[in-house]
Amino acid sequence: MFEQLGKRAVVLCTHPFEVTANNIAATMGLPGYPFVMVEHPIGSRTLAEIKERAEDAYQQALPILLD
Amino acid sequence: MNTTAHRHEVPDDPLGAIDYCFDQGWTDGLPVVPPEAGRVAAMLAFEGRPPETVIAEHPATGLRLTVESLAANAVMAGCKPEYLPVLVAAFEAMNEPDFNFHGSCASTGGSAPLLIVSGPAVEELGLNSGVNLFGPGNRANATIGRAVRLALLNVFKMIPGISDKSTQGHPGKFSFCIGERADRSPWPRLCEALDYPEGVSSVTVYAGAGFVNLENHGANTPEMLCDSFADGMANYGCISKGETVLVVSPEHAKIIGDAGWSREQTQAYLFERARRTVGQLQAIGKYHQREHERGQKLGADDAEHIHRGLTPDDILIVVGGGDAGGHSAFIPSWSRTRGSLRQSKPIGVCLDC
Amino acid sequence: MQLIDPTGTSSERRLARAAPLDKLDGAVIGLLNNNKVNADVLLRETAALFEARHGCSVIEMRHKMNASAPAPSDKIEDLAAHADFLITAMGD
Repeated sequence: MFEQLGKRAVVLCTHPFEVTANNIAATMGLPGYPFVMVEHPIGSRTLAEIKERAEDAYQQALPILLD
Repeated sequence: MNTTAHRHEVPDDPLGAIDYCFDQGWTDGLPVVPPEAGRVAAMLAFEGRPPETVIAEHPATGLRLTVESLAANAVMAGCKPEYLPVLVAAFEAMNEPDFNFHGSCASTGGSAPLLIVSGPAVEELGLNSGVNLFGPGNRANATIGRAVRLALLNVFKMIPGISDKSTQGHPGKFSFCIGERADRSPWPRLCEALDYPEGVSSVTVYAGAGFVNLENHGANTPEMLCDSFADGMANYGCISKGETVLVVSPEHAKIIGDAGWSREQTQAYLFERARRTVGQLQAIGKYHQREHERGQKLGADDAEHIHRGLTPDDILIVVGGGDAGGHSAFIPSWSRTRGSLRQSKPIGVCLDC
Repeated sequence: MQLIDPTGTSSERRLARAAPLDKLDGAVIGLLNNNKVNADVLLRETAALFEARHGCSVIEMRHKMNASAPAPSDKIEDLAAHADFLITAMGD
């Protein structure tokens, strides 16, 4: 995990993978690690739709980086 | 005996112990044989190393599989003690980084590790390599494959919906283990092709997606037959840069063998024909420019065509199944790129030691 | 009767979080792409908002060759050495 090297990480994760992400974090000793949840799916979306998700991700990332 | 696993004291009631295993969440949905200490010890007698020896480690979570945990899961699956070395070799193979067992077990792709056993172990352990190859009815096939799944569930916590995100999964996730049918194969056995010493058996593990039946009862030349195989390998739903496993039925193998085609020649023919045009893949939204560029760079693809896999060696051909029937099987790779590559290990011996 | 627990030993990993950033202004962003379709676009678009709003800069995107395996440690170390924070993605 990147944060072991002393730098914060913003990990984007689509909703169906939320449980998986939380489980991996808990197994590694980081229960409650904050993930940025974005709407699923990404692969088949238009650029405009991805920009919306990026805005959403940005808003969620601010407290993850600063708090 | 030096053990590390936690022990559970339960009443001397086998049926109650089966319920206890359900209550602990240790099963694949079917009843298991309770991992009673004596049975686990008998299983461990077939492995020379101490019970706490680590065979495989999960690259992301650090969870570890010991010989003892594997033996406990093997007992639960219904394995005979002598099957344990196959399981040890299988997990050693899956522990190779290029197999990427976390990804192949966690992915939406829903693959299962397909075990192909080759060599004298097939007969010695009573593994089925013949009729109803992938189906039920044989203890070794059913329980060895099941033990792999139970260890993935119990030790590596590949829990459906949590860490296993298979969109649909497939029946091979209960058990997916076959023997190579050497007596009807026109080619050297897999263990021989892998250059293992005489008498050493092997297990090859491959992250396999769902099963594609390749039916052809009318072909009477290798070209006719392999053209139909290649079409299955390149079908829109399956084509990718991943590997291929082709389990050729004895009837089909005879047609190819009687024409004198070697395994390599068959691989080359299939590789050449299992392809799609750029336009076809663009039309269905499955064209990936970077993969195509890589294919071209490696000489696998030309400007117009995208082949399944990167080289003819990506196609593993093995004979298996009953005497009658024009049914072979194509097992697509889980990985759409090179995310998991098949791995082989010798069974019950350490060739590097 | 005595049953051997089949779940094995638990993970010994106990990771800790990094310290938060003092400020975002002028921070250098590392991007690690998991190579799922469009993940690179989402990462770039998210980073672009930090560039526009906080004067951040972005170093060249690194790619995981395999979405489903952990990134090689040299790539991670390289990113940590050159960036103030990382944006990455998991899942489809």
